[in-house]
Amino acid sequence: MNKLIGITPLILALCFSGTVAYVAHAAGNDPLLKAVKARQAEMTLRSFNAGPLFGMAKGDIEYDAGLAATLANNLLILTTAKNGRMWPVGSDNETYPDDTRSLPEIWTTYPDIADKGKAYVDAVTALADVAGTGLGELRSVIGDVGQSCKGCHDDFRAEEDY
Amino acid sequence: MSRYQTIPVWDAVTRAWHWLLALTVISGWLLGEFRTFSLMQWHFYAGFCTGGLLLFRIFWGMTGPPPVRFAALIPKPRALIADLRGFFRREPSGVAGHSPLGGLSVLVMLTLLIIQVCTGLFAEDDSLFHEGPLSDTISSATVRKVTSIHRQNSNLLLIMFGLHISVMVFYYVWKKENLVRAMLIGRKLVRVEQGRSDEKDGQQRD
Repeated sequence: MNKLIGITPLILALCFSGTVAYVAHAAGNDPLLKAVKARQAEMTLRSFNAGPLFGMAKGDIEYDAGLAATLANNLLILTTAKNGRMWPVGSDNETYPDDTRSLPEIWTTYPDIADKGKAYVDAVTALADVAGTGLGELRSVIGDVGQSCKGCHDDFRAEEDY
Repeated sequence: MSRYQTIPVWDAVTRAWHWLLALTVISGWLLGEFRTFSLMQWHFYAGFCTGGLLLFRIFWGMTGPPPVRFAALIPKPRALIADLRGFFRREPSGVAGHSPLGGLSVLVMLTLLIIQVCTGLFAEDDSLFHEGPLSDTISSATVRKVTSIHRQNSNLLLIMFGLHISVMVFYYVWKKENLVRAMLIGRKLVRVEQGRSDEKDGQQRD
């Protein structure tokens, strides 16, 4: 009996670490979470390419025609990939409140989000056409790009509250 | 039945300040709530103007005429309770300045506005790629937190302004006092002390 009590902490520790390992393993293999990570990576890529374009338009950094053309074209290329797999049903912020801000409305109001996506593709296509031709031209179309990002985020992304 | 006289209470500078603030805050709110890429810069300008007006108000609260000084705004607990008790009495407050509740409300609104302007300087809009002028100086995690405060605080401000306007209507309809007019022309109904009423040419009010 005493022996059993003596090893209780060990058993508890094993149970605890086993649970932690299991949960960690399960999360790592969750296909929905993988999709969440993938689309967040895509957003990072978009933002990394769009950032300097917005910076040039606002006058924060100097206009560079070559860079502007490259970045706008990168954004256009990113729109050509078919990434529907990144948006599986159930990968919303009700199921994964700590991992994503994607609202369930993305799926419940489908295909509304597809219209938003089309607005973004149109804006980026217009951007890619003119971004390298001059700062004025860049400025004339960059607003639509931001507006299309905002249009989708307003409706389908949860606000970040603390 | 109390006797009232209409006397100058709000000085011209305070009145101008009040309506300028109303202008910059309303336009700032509209430009923020319905922001677009090209309008966002104007939201910033509205914020800078509001910030300037708030800085002036802090200065004015220390050096301005007695009714606008912070000392007159901070209510004494006893006066606040008396004010609350008489809130639904159908007569003007008769105070030569802010009522205790009114002073408290002004302090709350000023505090919320200061929070709003300060957080705006460090906030970002990651959809429109706009950021406050000081957001480079803090970490991006903090920027997101500050942005969240900026957005939630704007709702608190909206509630306070709704309350502010509701109380003006309440005073006009229920308490028979036009406080908006007082803030426009500066002259306000002030209760005449008993025994002194005959000395001044105070007008009787029903």
